[in-house]
Amino acid sequence: MARLRVLFENGDPEQTIECDLAKAPFHHDGEPGSILDILLGHGLALEHACGGNCACTTCHVIVTEGMQQLSENEEEEDDMLDRAPGLRPTSRLGCQAVMADGDVTILIPRHTINQQV
Amino acid sequence: MQTAGASSPSSPCGSSPQAFEATIARIVERTPDTRSFFLHIVGSQGSRKFSFKPGQFLSFSLPAGEQTITRAYTIASLPEDSEHLEICLNRVADGPGSAYLFSRKEADVLRFTGPWGTFVLDQPLNAEYVFIADRVGVIPFRSMIQRLLSRSEKSTARLLYAAREESDLLYRAEWQAWERQDPRFSFRPILEPHHPRRPDGYGVEKSLLPYIEQHYVQNDTRRDRQFYICGIGRPILLLRDLLRGAGYERKAVKYEKW
Repeated sequence: MARLRVLFENGDPEQTIECDLAKAPFHHDGEPGSILDILLGHGLALEHACGGNCACTTCHVIVTEGMQQLSENEEEEDDMLDRAPGLRPTSRLGCQAVMADGDVTILIPRHTINQQV
Repeated sequence: MQTAGASSPSSPCGSSPQAFEATIARIVERTPDTRSFFLHIVGSQGSRKFSFKPGQFLSFSLPAGEQTITRAYTIASLPEDSEHLEICLNRVADGPGSAYLFSRKEADVLRFTGPWGTFVLDQPLNAEYVFIADRVGVIPFRSMIQRLLSRSEKSTARLLYAAREESDLLYRAEWQAWERQDPRFSFRPILEPHHPRRPDGYGVEKSLLPYIEQHYVQNDTRRDRQFYICGIGRPILLLRDLLRGAGYERKAVKYEKW
């Protein structure tokens, strides 16, 4: 069983999702079993303008606990994160970070930035 | 559904992607499985020009059974085309987003947000640009190349474009016309060898990779080019790895993988 605790930088009340990863995908968007997939499949709509394809940074989250329960970053995710605002050492893209059983806590940043006009 | 991160997206320059409603003004069949949708923004936003950078995309919320999915489609038109926004997409087998859009008709309404995306043409350098496209990955390059050639007199642009058949080459007449009109631009279609199933990425592995390895890695010591790569699936990453591994700077090899 995986447990995902979600904190909000904007002050919204935290939420915790428990799920059976064997049932992933929970939704159409993002890698199956990813933070984005879990959130969407359990009623939390994280921004993901590109559809969860690692083509934007709107699903940027900051992992505060349980980094070892997530898949390792690939170069593609790192290339994209380079363009994310407010980047921190434990930043991940929700669409790419796939959970393993265990506990993970993430912080949803107040703002996401992914456009240049 | 609660929205995680309730604040609106913002940008360093203060402008934000916005929500738009548009009617489908026209549908054009580009190839048997690829269509262009020309969108006309309606409402109060319709009177303003939709501003975007070449290479950016629109994000659509589309129904898929009982769920709503998000699908991104790159803008095929140029920022200077103020009348209609064009998106061009192929029908994806078992793809709920393209299935929905291919069932739409002219005058139907679509809702989207945008513009989004950072796979854009940076401030043009006086350099040799190589644009590498696999199938519908060519779409962002239409506006990028035009912008590059109009903004940077000393730049050159070469488009390497892999497709299954000659008839699958999107905007072929346009590329050919540009090539005739502007000596700084060259167009090289690369057709895939025959394969009974033609899996995704086949054209990259069998056509683009060997071509690029030969021309830009093995037979050449220059490493000052700017590469833009776009296409579908993990084989696009092979092109990235080939070029970065050959000594091109990481930031000179930009890519977007769908």
